[in-house]
Amino acid sequence: MALLAENNSRARALAGGTDLVVDLKHAPGDVDLLVDISQLPEFSGIEETEEGLRIGSMVTFSELMASPIVNQMTPEIVAASHTVGAVQTRNLGTIGGNLVTCVPSADSAPSLLALDAIATIAGSDGKRSVPLEEFFVGPRKTILEPHELLAEILIPKKNLGKPSHFIKFGLRKGQALALVNVAAALYLNDDGKVAEPRIALGAVAPTPMFARKAEASLDGKRPNEESLLEAARVAVSEIKPIDDFRASANYRRHLVQTLTYRTLKRSAEIASEQ
Amino acid sequence: MIVKLKVNGETRSADVPPETTLLKLLREHLNLTGAKLGCDVGDCGTCTVIVDGESVNSCLMLAGRASGREVTTIEGLASSEQLHPLQEKFEELGALQCGFCGPGMIISAKALLDKNPEPTVFEVKDALSGNLCRCTGYTKIIEAILDAGRIMSTAEAKS
Amino acid sequence: MATKTKEVLESKVKDSEIEDLTAPDSLKVPAKPALKPVVVPVDKPVVYPLDLPESEIRLRTPAVGQRASRPDGRLHGLGQTQYIDDMTFPHMIFAKILRSEHAHAKILSIDTSEAEAMPGVLATLTGSEIPVNSFGPTLQDQPVLANEIVRHAGDGVAAVAALTEQQASDALTKIKVKYKPLPTVFDPLEAIKDDAPKVHAPRSNIYASKIIKKGDVEKALKESDQVFHKQFKTQMVEHVPLEPHSSVAMWDANGRVTIYSSLGRITLGRDDLARTLGKPMNKIRLVGTIVGGNFGGKNEITTEPILAMLSKKTGRPVKGTFTRGDEFISSTTRHPFVMDYTTGVKKDGQILGRKIRLVLDGGSYCSWTSTTLGKGGILAAGPYNIANLLVEAHAVYTNKTTTGAMRGFGAPQVCFAYESHMDDMAHALGIDPLEMRLRNAFTEGSVSPTGQLLQSVAIKESLQQAAERFGWKESAK
Repeated sequence: MALLAENNSRARALAGGTDLVVDLKHAPGDVDLLVDISQLPEFSGIEETEEGLRIGSMVTFSELMASPIVNQMTPEIVAASHTVGAVQTRNLGTIGGNLVTCVPSADSAPSLLALDAIATIAGSDGKRSVPLEEFFVGPRKTILEPHELLAEILIPKKNLGKPSHFIKFGLRKGQALALVNVAAALYLNDDGKVAEPRIALGAVAPTPMFARKAEASLDGKRPNEESLLEAARVAVSEIKPIDDFRASANYRRHLVQTLTYRTLKRSAEIASEQ
Repeated sequence: MIVKLKVNGETRSADVPPETTLLKLLREHLNLTGAKLGCDVGDCGTCTVIVDGESVNSCLMLAGRASGREVTTIEGLASSEQLHPLQEKFEELGALQCGFCGPGMIISAKALLDKNPEPTVFEVKDALSGNLCRCTGYTKIIEAILDAGRIMSTAEAKS
Repeated sequence: MATKTKEVLESKVKDSEIEDLTAPDSLKVPAKPALKPVVVPVDKPVVYPLDLPESEIRLRTPAVGQRASRPDGRLHGLGQTQYIDDMTFPHMIFAKILRSEHAHAKILSIDTSEAEAMPGVLATLTGSEIPVNSFGPTLQDQPVLANEIVRHAGDGVAAVAALTEQQASDALTKIKVKYKPLPTVFDPLEAIKDDAPKVHAPRSNIYASKIIKKGDVEKALKESDQVFHKQFKTQMVEHVPLEPHSSVAMWDANGRVTIYSSLGRITLGRDDLARTLGKPMNKIRLVGTIVGGNFGGKNEITTEPILAMLSKKTGRPVKGTFTRGDEFISSTTRHPFVMDYTTGVKKDGQILGRKIRLVLDGGSYCSWTSTTLGKGGILAAGPYNIANLLVEAHAVYTNKTTTGAMRGFGAPQVCFAYESHMDDMAHALGIDPLEMRLRNAFTEGSVSPTGQLLQSVAIKESLQQAAERFGWKESAK
């Protein structure tokens, strides 16, 4: 971290390299120092602690998919990891790298947000933790200062096993950028009503975001066609999608409506099966 | 910087500029031209090699990162008397046309079959989603991989 | 038991898999422990060539009637196939090409002095140093390196040869080119107008035309029960061969240049090289090898004259390989077509007359446009008996990537148009689309739009057999 701090804009932290190395090949800019952080023991490993599930930022997507704990406790993170790139990408790419590159369509973000993940940041002056939502500031911009690195992600203990579903919609099944990605999570009370609903959306705003109004519209209601469709409609009103060569803003609105409905419905099904 | 690593069972080393990718190290310094440069940004998969048992895009891995590790390239699959089952089946079924995707495709297939010798068609397609082919339409490639897998699990059962 | 193709093709994707990328159960981490990797005994390290018996298939006699195998299949699987970029020659150096960012501009000056002073740089090259700076299979309207006007973003302007690729790339950034931007035109329907900016001033943007006339199409349209009209458009497509364009050039003391190239047409290539380098053909040796995908995009020279000149200047073999970015903007692509179809039919679906206008987006240079225009024009009416026909096809220049040969040469574009058109008409007339085609399709002895008597015609039989095999009648209900 000292190296990164003193060299500031001329240095970059290297994790998996699946984004950084590509960037450097095309637009090296003034970068003349790469600090390889991928093997740092403090940033690796997956374990259950008193606080919840801790995932080191340098854990690769392949490691996430193969981890028995993750499969058991937060299976939608495995599903989301599977949608990233291809096998080769997942063997090198890290969850930390994905979050720090911070594109609006980051595939690891929605399902982590839906479980109220907390990001722990390590700096030369100590550690600090923020809700993941606050970690993202804008496209390719996080709250990391030049002397800071993302150390780990924590899924709070109370959300381990929370019913959740993630859908990514891309133009291909593999090696595709998400046109829209959505993760929902919710509990069902004993009386069958929704508690603690979460709807996290990607690629429809400058950063991954929550659809808070949509969540509020569903909170305390029974998850039936009417309430789910209503939540989906409200979610569409909260997004700021763009037109680009992959999709029109209108199509993205349509996707958000459909995928919000589907992820909520599936989460509710999982909840009632429990 | 000096990079020392094991390639196809042999210890090799080279002195390369730090920005050198593993792909360039293999092709230009070790004369192992099986891995190809198709896009240089990790999209086409022609540069795929196996590092410590995992398939990776060697165009995205800096050579220094491969230091001290074990790399398997297409050149490490056959012996002087025997082709790897994948190479046998790719030849027999005519799975390749221009051949450029071949080394990357076979290496990805090997990485899959070494872990799962009896994959379903979907699992093969999923494992190969990082390897593009512009000539064939993939059908015979998938057939060859499934056939090779059968040979390998039979060999495993016998051993 | 070998996997059947049928098994692979029938492994259909469930609808839900198309939108839902969550891993199906078969992909979740297997419960059983991973099997030990099967190790192929490496009793001796592999040195080339391998001491393996030839495969059994290749030894079968008689060979006729037997299944064949490719002679290069084994080499491909071993990674032994030598593509151009796999080749090295003693003292070989590397070339890179500076490409214009402007779609249309006058080159005011090119200053390579700073680049020449960069470490490792042995030579630079501009278009004015090339003996004959033009080439092309039909019109020689394309410069090897633009030295007066650039006509598309990606048009090559200067080249550098250096000891390493990195040094060559670095030197490119030091080449100073002064441009005066010119008005641009990108839409072929704009480019065809008289007042559009001229891409090859003072010539018209319409650089190739083809007219096919048969019978009296206006009369036929008047006598039709119904006349249909629609405009169809297809997009630019890039071949994306996995192997980028690559060549190596070197000279011998007898003044003969040898070029190893991914070029797919050797004799045409020699002809172009002889012309651009100002040498007799017997001084040009062109070695073609296994090509890593062509599909039409490697049918003409690209960097070969540049590498030859750089090799002459430096006295060393020079290799030049396109980056993937170069492949998209600087190699040829499939022509976008704008196709206007007007068809007059009788109530029962018989076509009486058809009028077609094709506008080909001919890119910035001609390349294989004339051939594409020819094929597209002849095939535009489709495989149907149409006694009254007018096809007017024009290729126009635009300030975009050069459009050239790509599998089909105009056929895929017009096929999309005439078959979609056929479906549209059938639905409007309330006729089964298959019936509509059978009513109009060529038969033995039919005459093509250009008067050719057709033999071995099997369209109707093929359509009928295909329809039976995939249950057309059942699904049409």
